[in-house]
Amino acid sequence: MSETGGRQQAELAGRVGAASEPTAQNAPIGRLLGSEVRWVLRRPRTLVMLALFALMPVTIAIGVVASNRSGGLVGNIVGNGLVLPVVALILAQALLLPLAVGMAAADALAGEAAAGTLRGLLLAPVSRLRLVGMKAFGVLVVAVLATGVIAVVGALAGVLLVGGTDGLVTLSGTTVGVGGALCRILLAVAWTVGQLAAIGAVALAVSAWTEHPLVVLASVLGMVIVFGVLGAIPALDWLQPYLLTSGWTSGADVLRDPLPARGLVESTLRALCYLALGGGLTVYRMLRRDA
Amino acid sequence: MRGLRKVFGTTVAVDGIDLEVPVGSVLGMLGPNGSGKTTLIRMLLGLTPPTAGAVELLGHADPVAALPHVGALVEGPGFHGFLSGRDNLLRAAAAEPLLASRDVAPTVATALERVGLAAAADRRYRGYSLGMKQRLGLAAALLVPRRLVVLDEPTNGLDPAGTRDVRRIIGELHADGATVIVSSHLLTEVEATCTHVAVLQAGTLVASGELATLLSAGSGGLVVVTPDVELALHTLREVATAYRGDAAGEVVVSEGPPAPEIVARLVHAGVAVHEARRSRTNLEDLFARLTEES
Repeated sequence: MSETGGRQQAELAGRVGAASEPTAQNAPIGRLLGSEVRWVLRRPRTLVMLALFALMPVTIAIGVVASNRSGGLVGNIVGNGLVLPVVALILAQALLLPLAVGMAAADALAGEAAAGTLRGLLLAPVSRLRLVGMKAFGVLVVAVLATGVIAVVGALAGVLLVGGTDGLVTLSGTTVGVGGALCRILLAVAWTVGQLAAIGAVALAVSAWTEHPLVVLASVLGMVIVFGVLGAIPALDWLQPYLLTSGWTSGADVLRDPLPARGLVESTLRALCYLALGGGLTVYRMLRRDA
Repeated sequence: MRGLRKVFGTTVAVDGIDLEVPVGSVLGMLGPNGSGKTTLIRMLLGLTPPTAGAVELLGHADPVAALPHVGALVEGPGFHGFLSGRDNLLRAAAAEPLLASRDVAPTVATALERVGLAAAADRRYRGYSLGMKQRLGLAAALLVPRRLVVLDEPTNGLDPAGTRDVRRIIGELHADGATVIVSSHLLTEVEATCTHVAVLQAGTLVASGELATLLSAGSGGLVVVTPDVELALHTLREVATAYRGDAAGEVVVSEGPPAPEIVARLVHAGVAVHEARRSRTNLEDLFARLTEES
């Protein structure tokens, strides 16, 4: 940055009297991010997707109340409404949330390239690094919103439809107060967003390499499924530490008392590795990509 | 642009082009489909790196540094179908470095007005006609005052009124001192608006320079209309390069003494000269000759 600044100054000095000419090289970053978020949120598919995510915990709540059967992860919800948001997050994380993030990442680079709008941004110009930052921010916003919608609607549906507002009965049988329950829900949200950020980074890297959004979606879907299958093969146990999905069972840990942190921390670190890998590949490719 | 070369796999799209575009000129870039016009423009704008050679854009060795002052419409307009024309432009304007945040909305309104889209501004881009899409692309290229405007096939899909508008806009830009690069295969368009021409053929530059110079250099010399073609050719063999014209009864003299002397010689030899005139090539002839030679 300082190098460009120096060059600009040298050039200004060279053109005496031209100082009044605007020389900004970048649009304000806040304006770019705002524009990106507006773009993401105006897209009909994002809104439909968020609406469907909102329906999901409501559907679970109705199902639980109607059947009133306990047993299993979902069975814990019976009479224990504050568990609903966490359970809904765990269920959605298996496939739906990665798909949502994959879709956002697919539109972010591949979709823009296909629409010819990536060229417009690069010509404005938005520097290629800023472009990656702006796109990553947009994907992160989708991850946070999708997770947040499930958690908030889940908590509301849990309290209103299932009941059990005096606290949360953990998987270990103890009861934590409402404040503690909300903290655990927040922890589940933060942890899920972290895992989704990893998926998003990898999806963005794929998106940087193609101009077909479907390829990105297929890659995310393929990755989640293949990782799941590999994780289920005992002979491939040694692969477990490298698979992002192998830590996804720790989501349920927030429902235990005392809270075992190890699984959550390990899976978050693993997510950070994927985030770095995906982010690095995205930047590498976008600095070179033809538009 | 110096020694520009671009290779895609085994395809050489642009091969060793040296071209200087004078500040304030309107350069028409001509060439058949696939001759490398768009690739050349994309390299100029830093959208794709050259395989060899270098670009200097408004004095910057790195094109990106000059881009805030450059407006471009490359490979057709690129916008999102689910947004209105105005929202698409607002998004483009938000990314413009030279636009202050408080100016974004009024600038967009002005730009829409300028290209005649004010009435359709709040309709979805998806429902725009080809010409309206093209107009929106123009509006995006002209959001802020530019020092260089690059228009790749700007009149694609435009109705006659739209074509006139583009011509007027190019004229305004030229009057304001901006440099304009227009690629087109509509030769009359280029002839009407451009001061300079560059002709590309199979990735190489086959001609470039001022339009007027190129046209006069490409002129076929003196055309003599006579019933005595054989006699005329025989007479001129000694003093000039003369050959049969395309039409019957025409002799074209491309090199030789001044016109009055040629006519005098012909008349002296008993050739009936019905008409003698300077042949005026138009751009279309020139273009056809340049691109069909190889």
